Amino acid sequence: MYVYIYDNFLRQKNFLSLIHSMEVVLTDYGIAGKILRLQNYTDSKAVIDDEIKRGAKTIVIVGNDSTFGQILSRSANCNCTFGFLPVGPNNTIAEVLGIPVGMEACTVLSRRRKEFLDVGWMNNRYFVSQLRVMPSKLEVVYDERFKVTATEKMEVIVCNLQPFFWKKDKKDKEQRVVHPQDGKLEAFIRPLTKSGWWGYKYEEPSIFPFEEMIITGKEPFAVEADGKMSKEIKVKIKLAHSKVEMIVGRDRKF
Amino acid sequence: MIFQRNAPKIVEESNEPEVSERTHQHVQDEVETVVGPSVNVEGDFASEGNIVVKGTVSGSVFTSKHLTVEMGAKIIANVRAGSATIAGEVKGNMKVKESLELVSTSRVVGDIDVKNLKVESGALLYGKITMPGIESGEKSIKTKLFKKTEETGVQFVS
Repeated sequence: MYVYIYDNFLRQKNFLSLIHSMEVVLTDYGIAGKILRLQNYTDSKAVIDDEIKRGAKTIVIVGNDSTFGQILSRSANCNCTFGFLPVGPNNTIAEVLGIPVGMEACTVLSRRRKEFLDVGWMNNRYFVSQLRVMPSKLEVVYDERFKVTATEKMEVIVCNLQPFFWKKDKKDKEQRVVHPQDGKLEAFIRPLTKSGWWGYKYEEPSIFPFEEMIITGKEPFAVEADGKMSKEIKVKIKLAHSKVEMIVGRDRKF
Repeated sequence: MIFQRNAPKIVEESNEPEVSERTHQHVQDEVETVVGPSVNVEGDFASEGNIVVKGTVSGSVFTSKHLTVEMGAKIIANVRAGSATIAGEVKGNMKVKESLELVSTSRVVGDIDVKNLKVESGALLYGKITMPGIESGEKSIKTKLFKKTEETGVQFVS
């Protein structure tokens, strides 16, 4: 049995026709199911656990990167298969998973090509797309073997499924992309150096693939994991291997 | 924090060529570790893939693949690598399995153990170079080709 979890933004008028035609296609394929709508304060884990008890085997996330992150960060350890129907803008994870945005995603879902995905673990919760530590004075220890520091503040971005986009500076027109690889988490460290009186300039990023990392700061620093902000003084990031069973497309990037 | 510049916006990426092989080993081959400028790394720095050093590394460096030390980069460590290209500064012993290239801007202080060595003019090197294959040959050269005499020191014997 399929259960579809729609993001709240899909109520907007410009998505209604697309959603309607997707529902028609899903009915044609014989994989239509119960529809739930995600609210800001919905605990996705409780909802999914409830549905699994009622017999749901496949949970399909309908929305964008933030919907994907919001649901899987809570329910990565649920005993079910996950599907994804990317709709609207901000869908970078869908491309990594080989799922086209819009109507064609229904075909990928119906084919049920399943793969186990690795998920990141941060202190006491999962993250699937990206974790970002805002610029501050940090010390990063990788796999308990080596330590990375910078003279000034630095920003740390840990990518699991979401690719990392960066530019050398404001004038740099070329958008650089680094695709994360499965089997390891990838950390991008961008130190900030003083530029002029007021400004700070991003340095070229350092890239470290890793399985375990500890970030410590002298002062509390802001961490954003799958769009959720928190303040921490010490963050332990690990990779949980093959945690989520996911329906993926043929053109996936791993 | 007030004056900090905004992070670059996420834009839809361009189409990447499709990866035909999806084996785990294939993915591992592409892993690259980059130590950026103004970043200091301390400890046992090891990587399964290629390493590019643009900053400072102290402790030890190990990779089974290629190590690139760019101009301005500094390594104060013992280095073990599959192959290496040095354009920066290295203080420590180097053990390279295949080929080592010292670019004109490189400065190396330490012993080198390598199979193939290429040194560009202008490169600075202080240390002992050992190449495998010469130890066994050295004895035969000494016994067959050279004979020490009391008058001349070394005499060639055909």
